[in-house]
Amino acid sequence: MEHKVLAHKPQDSVGVAITNIATGERVSGIVTENDSRFTLEARDNIPLGHKIALRAVAAGEKIIIYGWSCGYASQPIAAGEHVHVHNMKSARWS
Amino acid sequence: MNNRPTFRGYRRENGKVGIRNHVAVIPTTGISNTAAQNVSKIIHGAEALTHPFGELQFGKDLELFFRTVIGVGSNPNVAAAVVIGLEPDWTDKIAAGIAETGKPVASFYLERHGDLATIERAARKAKEFMHYASEIKPCEIDLSELVVGIKCSESDTTSGLASNPTIAQVVEHLLELGATVMFGETSELTGAEHIIADRFKSIKEQEKFRRVYNEYAEFIESKHAHLLGSQPTQGNIHGGLSTIEEKAFGNIQKIGNAMIDGVLEPGEAPPGRGLWFMNTSSDAAEVLTLFAAAGSTLQIMSTGQGNIVGNPVVPVIKLSANPLTVSVMSEHIDLNVSGLLSREITLEQAGDMLMNMVLRTAGGRLTSSEVLGHREFLPPKLFRSA
Repeated sequence: MEHKVLAHKPQDSVGVAITNIATGERVSGIVTENDSRFTLEARDNIPLGHKIALRAVAAGEKIIIYGWSCGYASQPIAAGEHVHVHNMKSARWS
Repeated sequence: MNNRPTFRGYRRENGKVGIRNHVAVIPTTGISNTAAQNVSKIIHGAEALTHPFGELQFGKDLELFFRTVIGVGSNPNVAAAVVIGLEPDWTDKIAAGIAETGKPVASFYLERHGDLATIERAARKAKEFMHYASEIKPCEIDLSELVVGIKCSESDTTSGLASNPTIAQVVEHLLELGATVMFGETSELTGAEHIIADRFKSIKEQEKFRRVYNEYAEFIESKHAHLLGSQPTQGNIHGGLSTIEEKAFGNIQKIGNAMIDGVLEPGEAPPGRGLWFMNTSSDAAEVLTLFAAAGSTLQIMSTGQGNIVGNPVVPVIKLSANPLTVSVMSEHIDLNVSGLLSREITLEQAGDMLMNMVLRTAGGRLTSSEVLGHREFLPPKLFRSA
């Protein structure tokens, strides 16, 4: 299956859609750091360039990208959900 | 002999090397723009560097204005400069600053002469300078003499995944060859500033970086404003970036694993070769103007959503990995690295493609922004005028 998601590091909470992904679609992804592969089911439409949760993230939990904290979940996020400004906030700037 | 890469460049009077051969017409105030534009219309190829500032500025804001305008006139991509101002004192100050490079400079004042007489005299001088510049022969130059500014703009997640790591490949290669590279965007390091701080070669410059970063962050926080939409920008958000931290980690991918030599004031020329951090905003036109003022002769800009900016004296190579942007805005993109996302090309291949584009551009290939006429010249303003 052609990959539709790329993630930077194995520990990242989210990956990036490299093409539009539809709700319910089962997609494959690659972790660029070690070329490992994974699959998951999209719970939302994920537009090109937008993030998809690779695992569940609790409200208030850090969201890891590039292996680093890039903000936190402002509400519970399930694996396969669209992750963006509606459910992810900066820990630095409001 | 050796196999070091070379290009055909222009050796200036002060020994610096340009990759373009412009005659610049520089207004010293916003109200000198009309005269400068008219000179540029009459004299084919003379570049008017119009801007809205230069009146009633004072203190650090005025210092930055002078450094920026003198710096851009002094840029090695400029063969000669015509300076047009309202009155003699600040006009001559700018002309004298540029003349320190040894290149031909002439200044003209609108007071006591008016537009028409000034335009005629300045146009005759610009014509003379065009003949002069046209006879400067390019010569073989080692790539280590390139001074490159790097910037990402209208970034999205594809910038951090692909186009910025491509820039890092070239940055690391250029630094190995002994070239000079500068990057900036102080507040856009927020969340990743500790990683940049750890990259300084000396404690002194690391401390300077921390001070400069903290001052900028405090300035932004002191405004108590909602930043979402400004930084990250609406374009960033459309492209999928959600927070400043995420944007910052994407941003710093541009320098790869390189170590940093020091911190530059806005528009300050690097005192030596290597990698330099300049304290700037993230406004693309402003940053490219400040890099030009600091003597950068080539700029490399990644874009996700499609920034179209250019600079009047320094070519800007644009690359993008966003498959939609490279398709619907292809006229603005010099290098398509979207194959990195589909994994049709490797990062090393993308780096080689960009290095090849750097050599071609240094050798004279016009960039998309040059051909499309993007000439944004934007000296930053620190605070309001008196």
